Order: sequence, then structure tokens, then C-alpha cells
Amino acid sequence: MSKRGFLNSLSVGKHLFGKPKTTCYPFTPKEPALRYRGFHLNDWDTCTGCGNCAEICPNDAIEMIEIAELESVPGMKNERPRLDYGRCCFCGLCVDICPPGSLRLSRDYFHTHFDTDTFVFTPRDDKADQEKFVPDESYSVLKASLSHRKRNYEGFSSDLDYALFEPERVPMPEIPPTERKLSFVEQVIGYSKEEAVHEAARCLGCGLCEDACPAHMKISDYILAVYNDEPEESLRKIYEDNPIPAICGRLCMKHCEDACALRLRGEPVAIRWLKRFVSDSIRDYKTVLEQAPGQPTGKKVGVVGAGPGGLSVAYFLRLMGHEVVVFDELEGGGGMIRVGPPRYRLPLASIDKDVDYIASLGVDFRFNTRVGKDVSFEGLRQEFDAVYLGVGLTKSRSTGVDNSEKCGLALDFLRKNKTDRPTAVTKEIVVIGGGNVAMDVAREALRLQQIQHPGEKTVTRMVSLEDWDEMPATSEEIEETREEGIEFNPAWGPKKVLLDDGGNVKGLLCMKVKSVFDDEGRFAPTFREDEEMVLEGTMIIEAIGQGPDFSFVPEGEFEKMEFTAMRKVSVDEDGMTSLPGVFAGGDIVNINLDAVTAIADAKIASEGIHRWMQSK
Amino acid sequence: MRELELYFGPQHLGMVGNFSITLKVEGDRILEATANPGYLHRGFEKLMEGRSWIKNFPMVCRINLVDPDHMEMIYAMGVEKLAGIEVPERAQFVRSIYLELARVSSHLFGLWAYANMLGFDTVSNWAMYHRDLVLDLFEELTGGRVYHIYVWPGGVRRDFPEGFTDRMVSTLHSIGGCVPDYDTTFFNNKLFSERARGVGVVSREEALAMGGVGQVIRATGMKYDVRKVDPYAAYDRVPWEVHTRDDGDAYSRICVVRDEMIESVHMIFNLIDAMPEGDVYNRVPNPLKWKIPAGEAYVRCESSRGELGLYLVSDGGEKPHRVHFRTPSYAHGLAILEKTLVGANIADVGNIMMSMYVVAPEIDR
Amino acid sequence: MTNPLGTRLDATFKGVELRSGVDGRLAVVVPREAIVPVLTFLKEDGYDYLQLISCVDWIDRGEFELVYLLSFYTEDEVGRDGGKQEVLLKATVPREQASAPTATGVFAIAEPHEREIHELYGIHFEGHPRLTPLFLDRDYEIPPFRKDFDTKQYVADVFDRVPPIDEEG
Repeated sequence: MSKRGFLNSLSVGKHLFGKPKTTCYPFTPKEPALRYRGFHLNDWDTCTGCGNCAEICPNDAIEMIEIAELESVPGMKNERPRLDYGRCCFCGLCVDICPPGSLRLSRDYFHTHFDTDTFVFTPRDDKADQEKFVPDESYSVLKASLSHRKRNYEGFSSDLDYALFEPERVPMPEIPPTERKLSFVEQVIGYSKEEAVHEAARCLGCGLCEDACPAHMKISDYILAVYNDEPEESLRKIYEDNPIPAICGRLCMKHCEDACALRLRGEPVAIRWLKRFVSDSIRDYKTVLEQAPGQPTGKKVGVVGAGPGGLSVAYFLRLMGHEVVVFDELEGGGGMIRVGPPRYRLPLASIDKDVDYIASLGVDFRFNTRVGKDVSFEGLRQEFDAVYLGVGLTKSRSTGVDNSEKCGLALDFLRKNKTDRPTAVTKEIVVIGGGNVAMDVAREALRLQQIQHPGEKTVTRMVSLEDWDEMPATSEEIEETREEGIEFNPAWGPKKVLLDDGGNVKGLLCMKVKSVFDDEGRFAPTFREDEEMVLEGTMIIEAIGQGPDFSFVPEGEFEKMEFTAMRKVSVDEDGMTSLPGVFAGGDIVNINLDAVTAIADAKIASEGIHRWMQSK
Repeated sequence: MRELELYFGPQHLGMVGNFSITLKVEGDRILEATANPGYLHRGFEKLMEGRSWIKNFPMVCRINLVDPDHMEMIYAMGVEKLAGIEVPERAQFVRSIYLELARVSSHLFGLWAYANMLGFDTVSNWAMYHRDLVLDLFEELTGGRVYHIYVWPGGVRRDFPEGFTDRMVSTLHSIGGCVPDYDTTFFNNKLFSERARGVGVVSREEALAMGGVGQVIRATGMKYDVRKVDPYAAYDRVPWEVHTRDDGDAYSRICVVRDEMIESVHMIFNLIDAMPEGDVYNRVPNPLKWKIPAGEAYVRCESSRGELGLYLVSDGGEKPHRVHFRTPSYAHGLAILEKTLVGANIADVGNIMMSMYVVAPEIDR
Repeated sequence: MTNPLGTRLDATFKGVELRSGVDGRLAVVVPREAIVPVLTFLKEDGYDYLQLISCVDWIDRGEFELVYLLSFYTEDEVGRDGGKQEVLLKATVPREQASAPTATGVFAIAEPHEREIHELYGIHFEGHPRLTPLFLDRDYEIPPFRKDFDTKQYVADVFDRVPPIDEEG
């Protein structure tokens, strides 16, 4: 190397005359990048309080704090994450695991304070908060802190493509509509083991579902057991709160899935199908559960109705050691579940599997025995230490329009098809109603038409007072019904059943509905009398709802029974009615009208019954 | 002459990082050197055994402040190998570009430390400034400046933002435009070459015997680079060169660093041109209950200081059973340094150490 | 085993167990007495690069597993496709009698690796020139990387022992 090499270096002196590269911070502040990972933002309106951020935080910097001003509702806990910026490393895992995407990082990163407590911070976006989120013109780097931040300064945010959870569920294999409408074969095939494990893996285990489940089942635990490939353990967890998994695994109203944190930007975990998977994958409950009735107590309980509530009460009380006798007018267990849900949704074998297990614990089932006819209600009250009424809603309502006596009723139709000989159907059928039962009726009618009139043109029409958006049936059910080719006529009300000269049904005269509910949300339909249409049909089935049948209660006693404003049987916190020693639950008590709420009622009542009998 | 024991570091002007060397000297000549790591033993490997697979991911980068990105990469590679996770093709390119950026940033940081220690303040300030420009790119891509937490199992965390490649290219061009200045002031400057030539010579035999990697053996003329020998990410998809020098001294090592930086920039341009469209992330299983099948894996990549390895053992659980990083500074800073220092002058201790690019946190892990 | 190296190892040493490889490596399990001879054999066979010596605590089986990762320096691009397999050498050491022969005589780089394992796992390497502490400052009954080392207990034992400051003096 020559001497010039050393002198050459002086040539960089030219940079002395360039513009300085150094910025004069903080007077010329540096704008952070759009993805900057700074302090947290949390939208309290969408935050579910699920706590997954706290769960994944590698430094335990996040703690879920109960917020007194918020109300806990199903799917939304009143807890919000609190950050400890002494621990936070700004990795943003909390952002990527946040199911609703409410937790984000902002581009703010200044906070200087002499009080270390201020570094513990509960983030909350409050767009209206002029104090904390200041507009650009009033923002100053010199004042910047956790409580003096720039408005609309969002940085690293959630992106569903890079989320740490799987937003889409494992598709449930089903028989396609064109094929399934030809027979009563079960529509849903059920998960295979791999599919179930895969679906169970999606569950984040936050437990929002458990709060939403009326029976507070230990959902996270039993899903974890499925994930760990331990269906036996899973079944044991299920049986702690729910003794009819094969039934609930098929037609639970799944309040849990409506609360699942993943529902907000994806599909909820298929909790119901996983329960079904567990019950289906275990052939013999008894060897797995290893349950035995408790020490005999010498007390006897009579249960009226072998529906979900009656079965559950019997199960829980039997485990406590009481003797239980269940009465039901049907030839098997399940109650309304036995007759209502069509075979393609709930095969009888699944019902019997659950009922047989409960019977194997020593519960005495007396089928084909109607209380009020074969045995008297008063007799029960004398024979047993306590009586539980789980009779459900067994009487179909009628529209009461002219000639409505010529129509079929939903429950009679369903019951016959499922447990007796199928009804002979005509080629044109009209079903009145917009609820799940109406859908069941229409879809059964469609199948019967396909079987009884093969190759011929048949029509099944539905007519409901409610419009699409207010139809009480679940959207899933409506969708499946439409897929099968059933014609819908929403927002039409029946006016008169039209008869031909021979007195046979030939159609239904309908009028346009103006509104279904009044201003206070009560059912009070109004119509446009002038707008009419005729739905042609040679068979009409009414499926507009069911009511309870208390004819088995002697009049004198019935008068003593108290009812709520909603015309429900009034019970105390132990599930006891105003008749001493008579407990009740299920559809005659609650307004949810589903199996899992009946189980929840039964659980409360079984403990109430136990206490009541002990105290006697 | 009398023998003295001299403590070089951790509080010493010539020492960069939390590291110390105990020297036995006679006059100005070193008779024996003992490396003392452990000033920041943070027990990462032990800590990782107690954390779930995903919780380790934001932490691994912190093992090495100078070059955190290769730490993320090696961990992601290890987990992917154990769990059998596929990485999308585009993500491989994104990873390569990201890692080459990291190499540039790390080399500039190293150049800062080296030049600063030798008293070339102008060059060190330039290097720091140019590194900052690269950090701006990282900030835009990942949201963080130093710890990027970007390469994770299954791919990368986000795709390039809109217009990012253009800004990256223009930043790299502006840094590249200063290479002549660097050359005249530093690499070709007699003041520097006199100071570095013939200092801290490591022969190829010595280097190989003591597990030398990276610049240490490339400065002895050996074309050993994991990116070529055992390619990962997208390094086998574009043409590029391994740069070597022959003398094995401090000057050769730092010139290899210089050439590599320039090669990295060229490689980034090639990678951008060849980069396919598509996804950059294959979703990993639910991280809150992620279990990885029992097994073991050894993966390696070429970090900015040489071969970085990870031996990862899973017992089938939600946490690793054993994590062991094989870091380049381990061989360089403990075995080779102790040997090379013998016979050197006290004034050259920092010179030799920094030319080997020893990063203390990497040794302590 | 069709692998020529495996066959040769099997023929040369007693008690060598060949396992299906870890991601393309040949896994060789040897008794601990055979560590040094096998390493020497491999080094002469061209495995001149000891990447790592690691140790795994299998507390349930009551043993430590020493893992030697062997590779080779090459200038060939995509060296592994050249047909030469890397080797993963394993030997188990009972937890009760934790000692093994040193490999420093074969590979110089083994020195710091073994020193570290000695410190973190408490395995004694017979013949190692300096088993002095590398990272740690204080001795503790259980070396820190053993699975039965309880971090919290350590803190309680070590730091709570600091005598409380007496206000009187």
C-alpha cells in the first residue's frame, strides 16, 4: 500500500459540507413505522375477556382484571387485560392470539414517570376520550405518555391470515341434500378420530362457553381430553354435568358455540359435534364411567316424564343413593326428544344408548304409564318422598282459523312417523309455522312424499308469520330446509283453510303480515287484510308451537300451583313448585325450551330434592 | 522480566461486551490468556425448557443482541424439523432476504465496534448510521427495531408491506454508494492495514482443529459456508459467491466481512427478482396446546459470525426437553482466542478479539 | 445395516449400536468407554469437525446422554449430497456415577464444551486439563441444568440466606 492510500482518506472530508444526517430529536420526532409494536390498544366493545392474551404472554405481563362497570354476558366476560410494562417485551403474541382482534399495538412508545405504578396499565380505546387520545395538533412528544397518546395511531394489528388460532372449523361430513331427502338416514355423519382431534385442537380453552352453557359443562376439559386422544376421560368429564351426551351431541341448542371466542372472526369450535364424537366413539359407557349408585338412603323419588330433565334428575338422584322411579306414557325414554326430532337428526338408537345407561344404574323406568290415567298424581305424592315434574310441552297449538280442525297437528304427525306407522301424505303439503318443529315437520313430510310418491312431482310449502330475519328456527336448520327444496312463504299469516265440495282440504288462504310483534316485543301479529294469496295444498299441518298439558294434576291441586307472568310453572331456587315436595323443571319452567336447560334445571332440582328429603 | 497477571475487561475500554480475559504478561507480551465468560449467564437454554414452544419464540432472539434474526431462524428451523412443518416457498425467500438484511446490519454493528476500538471514529459512526437505516427497514417490516420477532415456525409473521422492496432497494443502494468512502478511509487506509495485517494470525489447521467457522476460517482461504454446504431458506435458488482471503490475520477477517456485506446486498437484489408470489405462513397448530412429537433435531445456519447450530430435543410434550445452541463465538471466543492471544501484544487484545467477531452473550446463552 | 461406515464401526468396536438417523445423520450409540476410540476412528475417517457436545438429562431413566455431533469441513457445495453422512454419537452415563472420558485429546474444541457440561450437569470428565468453573459464580448442591434443579428453591436457598440488615449495626 502506497503513501497515497493514507492521504486518500482525507478525501472524505467532503462530507463536512453535506447536510447533517443526524436528526435533532425530539424536536424533529421520528415517525414510527406503520407496523410499530408500541403500547397496547384494546377495543373494549369487542374484547370478550377470554384471557387468551394472558395465557400466551411469555412474560406473564398480562393479567385479566375484573371491571366493575361491565356486565358479564354469555360470550363476553367482564374482564379486560391489564399490562405490566415492566414485563412486557412487545412481542405481539397477544395480538396474534386475540380472537376478536380487539387487542392491538399502537405506535406510541413514550412513557416516563416517577411513579412505577403508572407502568401497570389497562389499555382501552376510548375515541371520545380527549384527555388520553389527543389529536395530532395537540400531541407532543415531550408530553407523550401512556395517558397522552396520539389519536388513531394504530400499529401492529391482528391479521386473520397470520392469527395463531384456526378460524375455520373442520367441516362436518354430511349427506348431501339431494340424497338425504330421499330417506330418513341420519344426515350428519360424525367426525372421524382425526377430524375430532383436529377440531379439538382449535379450542383455546378460555372457558367462555362454560359460562354460557346452562348446565355449565366442563367443555374446555372434555375438549382437551379429545385433543389428547382420551375419549374415555372426556366422557367422564361430560357425565359430571350431562347424562345424555348422545342426545345432546346431536341436537343441543349449543349456547356454548354462540359464546365461543372464535365465533367473532371465524367459526366457533364444533363443541356439539365433539360431544357427539365422544359418545359415539365409546361403545359401552358403563365400563368407562365405572359409576355406582350411592349408599341407599331409603328415600324414594317419583319422576314424571322421561325427557332430558326427567332422565337427568333420575341420574343425579340415583348417584346420591335415592330410589328413583320414572313414569312416561311413551314406550321408551326421551320424552318429547323421542317423538319430536326426526330420525335423520336423532335416531332412536342414540336415545336408547343414553337411557339404557341410566337404567343400568338402577333407575326404575315405567314406560307406557301415563300419570293421571294409569297412576294418579295424588298416589305418587303419597308413595314417594318427592315428585319431579319434567312433563314438557306436549300439546300442539292450533291456529284456530276457519276449518283448522281439518289440519294435522305437528306433534301427532312427528310422533306417528317416528314411533308408529308413517302418515300417508299427499303430493301437496302446506306446513304452518317458522320454528324448528315446523322445519322438522316439513322435512319429514318431504321425505314421506319422496318415499310414498316416488318419481312424481310433489310440493312442500311452508308459511310463517315471521319474515326471514325473525324466524325462530335456527339459521342452520332454515338453510338445510331450503337446500332440500322446500318452498318458504315468510311473512304470511293463515286466514282460512279452503275446502273443496267434498269437504277435503284444498288450500290455505293467507294474508300479508304487517308486523309480528308489538312495540314492547310481545307476540301480537297484525295483518294487511287486503293483500291475500292462496297456497294450494291437499294436506295442511299446523306447527305453530306447543303448550303444557297439566290435565294429570287434580283440579284442587292445580289451583294451588303458581305460575309466572310468562305462564311458566313458578319454582324456588331449589326447583320446588308451590306444592310441597313437588319439583319441576324443563320446558314447563324455563323459557329456553331446550334439552340442555332442562338438564340444568334438573341439576338444581336434584340437589333441591336431596336437601328437602334430608331435612324431612 | 517480571510476569504479571492482567485483567482485561469486563470494565475495559478495549473490551466490547460483557466478557473478560485474564492475561499473564511479561512486559508487553502475552504468555497466557484465559477467557472468562459468564458475566451475563442468563440460562436461556434452561429457561426454554420451562416454556411452551411458542413462548420461546419471542425469547430466542434475545440470546444475541447483535444478530438476533439468525437466532429466530435457527429456532424456527429446529421446531419445523421436529414438528414436520412445511414452509411456503415465498416465505423461504422472505426469510433469506430478511436474514441477509440482518447480516448487513450485524456486520455494520461489528464494523462499528471494531473501528471504534481501533480509534477510527469516523468509520464507526458511519457504520452505526448505516445500520440505523437498515433498522428502519426492519421496523417497517416487523414493527421492531432490534428484536424483530419475525421468523416463526411455519414461515414469517407478516408479508412485505406495500412498496417495501422498493424502499429496501433504495436504502441498500444509498449504503452501497458509501463503500468507496469506507474503502479509502478504512479498508485501504494504510493506518488501518498496518494495524491489522499480520495480527492475530490463525492458520487453517489451527482454525479447523478448534472448531472455527465463519470469517475465521474463510480468512484462511477455505470456502466453508453453511449457506452453500447445507443450504436452507432460499440460498440455493439464486447465484452468489463465498468470499475468502488467504492470510488468516485480522485484516483478512475484516475484509471478508466487507466482501460479505456487499455480496449480501447483491444477493438481496437477486432474491427480490426471483421471489415468487404466494403465502408466507403455514398456520401452526393451536399454540396453547401445541405438542411436538418426541425426537431430536440438529439444524444449522450461517449467522453473521459463522455456523450457528441448534440441538433440540422433544419428549413429546408442550415444552422442549433440551435446547442447546452451538454458537460461533463459543469456539472463537473460548478456544481460538486463548490460543491466538499467546505471543500477541496487550494493545492487540481487543483488535484480535473484535476481528474474530466474538459476541459475549452468545457464549453465555 | 447397509451403511459402510456403520458396518465398519460395527466390525471395529464392541457394543456399538446403530440407530436410524436423526434427519439424515447416522446415529451411533456406544458404551462410554468407547467414546474416545470411536471419536478417534471417526476423526481419522474424515469427521474432522466436532460441532457440538451436548448433554441431555433423562431423569426418568436415571441417566445422562452425552451427544457428540460430528461433521466435516468441506468446500463442496451441498456437501451432504456428496454421500457422506454426518454422525451423531451418543453415550449414556448413569446419573449416580456421572463421569466420562474426556475427548480433549481428539478434538481441541471439546475442552470448553466438556467444561460447560461439567459445570451445568456435574459430569466429571476423566483426564480433562481444567474442569474449572466457566460461567457460574457459586457452587450449589445440584448443578443447574439437571432436571431436578428447582430454580425457586435455589433462589430461596441462596438469596434468602443473606443475613437481614440489622438496624442497630
